Amino acid sequence: MREDRKGKANHMDDTLHGIYQAILNGSSSEVIAWVEKALKAGLSPKMILDQGMASAMAEAGRLFEMNEFYVPELLVTAHAMQTGLGLLKPHLVEARVKPMGRIAIGTVTGDLHDIGKNLVGMMLEGAGFEILDLGVNVPPEKFLEVVDSVDAIALSALLTTTMPAMRSVIDALNDSEKRDHVKVFVGGAPVTEAFAKSIGADGYAPDASQAVNMIKACMP
Amino acid sequence: MNSRDRLQLVLQHKQADKIPLDLGSTPTTGMHVSSVYKLRQALQLDPPGTPVRVFEPYQMLGEIQPDLIEALGVDVVGLAGPRNFFGYANADWKSWKLFDGTPVLVPNLFNTVPEPDGSILMFPEGNRSAPPSARMPKNGFYFDSLPRVMLPEQYPLNVEENLEEFKPITEEDLLHYAHESERLFTQTDKAIVANFGGTAFGDIALVPAPWLKYPRGIRNIEDWYMSTVTRKEYIYKIFERQCEVALDNLARLFQAIGNRISVVFMSGTDFGMQSGSFISPKMYRDLYKPFQKTLNDWVHQNTTWKCFIHSCGSIINLMPDMIEAGFDIFNPVQTSAAGMLPRELKMRFGNQVTFWGGGVDPQQTLSFGTPDSVYAQVKDRMEIFGQNGGFVFNTCHNVQAGITAENLVALYQAVKDFRTYRIN
Repeated sequence: MREDRKGKANHMDDTLHGIYQAILNGSSSEVIAWVEKALKAGLSPKMILDQGMASAMAEAGRLFEMNEFYVPELLVTAHAMQTGLGLLKPHLVEARVKPMGRIAIGTVTGDLHDIGKNLVGMMLEGAGFEILDLGVNVPPEKFLEVVDSVDAIALSALLTTTMPAMRSVIDALNDSEKRDHVKVFVGGAPVTEAFAKSIGADGYAPDASQAVNMIKACMP
Repeated sequence: MNSRDRLQLVLQHKQADKIPLDLGSTPTTGMHVSSVYKLRQALQLDPPGTPVRVFEPYQMLGEIQPDLIEALGVDVVGLAGPRNFFGYANADWKSWKLFDGTPVLVPNLFNTVPEPDGSILMFPEGNRSAPPSARMPKNGFYFDSLPRVMLPEQYPLNVEENLEEFKPITEEDLLHYAHESERLFTQTDKAIVANFGGTAFGDIALVPAPWLKYPRGIRNIEDWYMSTVTRKEYIYKIFERQCEVALDNLARLFQAIGNRISVVFMSGTDFGMQSGSFISPKMYRDLYKPFQKTLNDWVHQNTTWKCFIHSCGSIINLMPDMIEAGFDIFNPVQTSAAGMLPRELKMRFGNQVTFWGGGVDPQQTLSFGTPDSVYAQVKDRMEIFGQNGGFVFNTCHNVQAGITAENLVALYQAVKDFRTYRIN
């Protein structure tokens, strides 16, 4: 599907490069084969995650920002990465690899749209975060239930009628005096930087790729 | 000058007496039923509590009745199909209430079932024995399609499965269009926009086919988008076959209705998102443009109809190709999306296409602004887009739910105050 991008990753071990390239090619079966090979070769799960997967997803994000990848390509890439990650996860747990942070993600109450939310979730996973996906139409109480087990909450909305529900989540966190426990990030078509500030969110990004960079910069 | 002549002049990029106004002629130029209710109340067209009909039950758009058309000075009416988005007729009305209490009327087959979480389910053809095809969340205002077809990794795909909805038009449906177009043509002086369906390639709102009882093939949104990369030949084959059927249908429809209509809604596929185009210009050129051009060329060679495309979001990088594909009219002109600046759009493309929308931004100004800011934006947009014709006033997409009556009144007051062209 895409030309070999080895030039950008020539420092890599061949197996890691195989994972990297298979993800950018959007081939789930190739990703599985290369991850199995890497594990068999005794590469550490963390190295596979960081140098194989995260670097591929960072490259996918870069290509998206350069207008070489668009949403369909990004979705294909993210799904291929997720397939490999499914295989790697037990090994990461066994090796006690700590995620970069744990983030609860969900589309706010009244809103059923989840493409943007899913893409951001997958891209964050690809960057080394652990994702707790709460799904769509998530009421503030549900975010409150998990607030003690996560470092951040990421909220998505597509509709002008549901965007105000983001404020309700932050209000609920304030009321329960747990606002300081987590960072809150917001995104979605009608959401703007100004709106994010007005409701007291910690960060906003206009697309999935920039969301990953913004969240990485905001998380300790 | 009557409405039909007004629209014709403007579509020829000439100034008419006034800027034409659309409200409700298509599923992307309408108004949520709760906002129609508020507007009708504010204009004192109805006693309090009078329900409004839901004409498009997926987006819950309200009927724009003749009295509202006259009160606002709307110039365009829609020629709708015999069945709605869920596959049943808009007939035999019954009372219903939105979650916010707005009284409405819905078709008799608008059969819903509540879920334990308070959301409600909708069924194709109103048939509750079929799997539900859409859901409205508790306190929500719109339906969204439910995923019904899971695509296993090794599913043997057959292109016929994705073609179930693209069939030769029936004699019964042809008669419907013939009678309806004649009624609208002879009983009103409004310009007519036809919504035949079947001519949009890969419209993601239509891919799940919420009107079909047992859809097969690629029907989930993410599966579809990914398939445009990973199963490109399959998608191309769908479009190829769909295009053949659509050409035959257009020819038969033209025989039935002639040039009674001014505009045909050809495509509602969303190619843009807030921050840029959804797909690459290359994918647009390879996968969509050839088929769109084939259909638009047929329309231009055989009829006087103008071809209308709706695409949300930022599409400025695709517009030159879309114009080459033969689209005459662009909607909704989402000026809140990246790069969709009104002055630039008018300057770059204003001589080639008609902007049908862009009148006020429902994502920010109309939903969250003050009446003064709505009034000011409408004035501004009419000045920019209205020059030398090529502009039909409509908001950037349907007027959504949750908008104050004051903002709705300010919107149409500004249209009234600024739509008249001054004589040069």
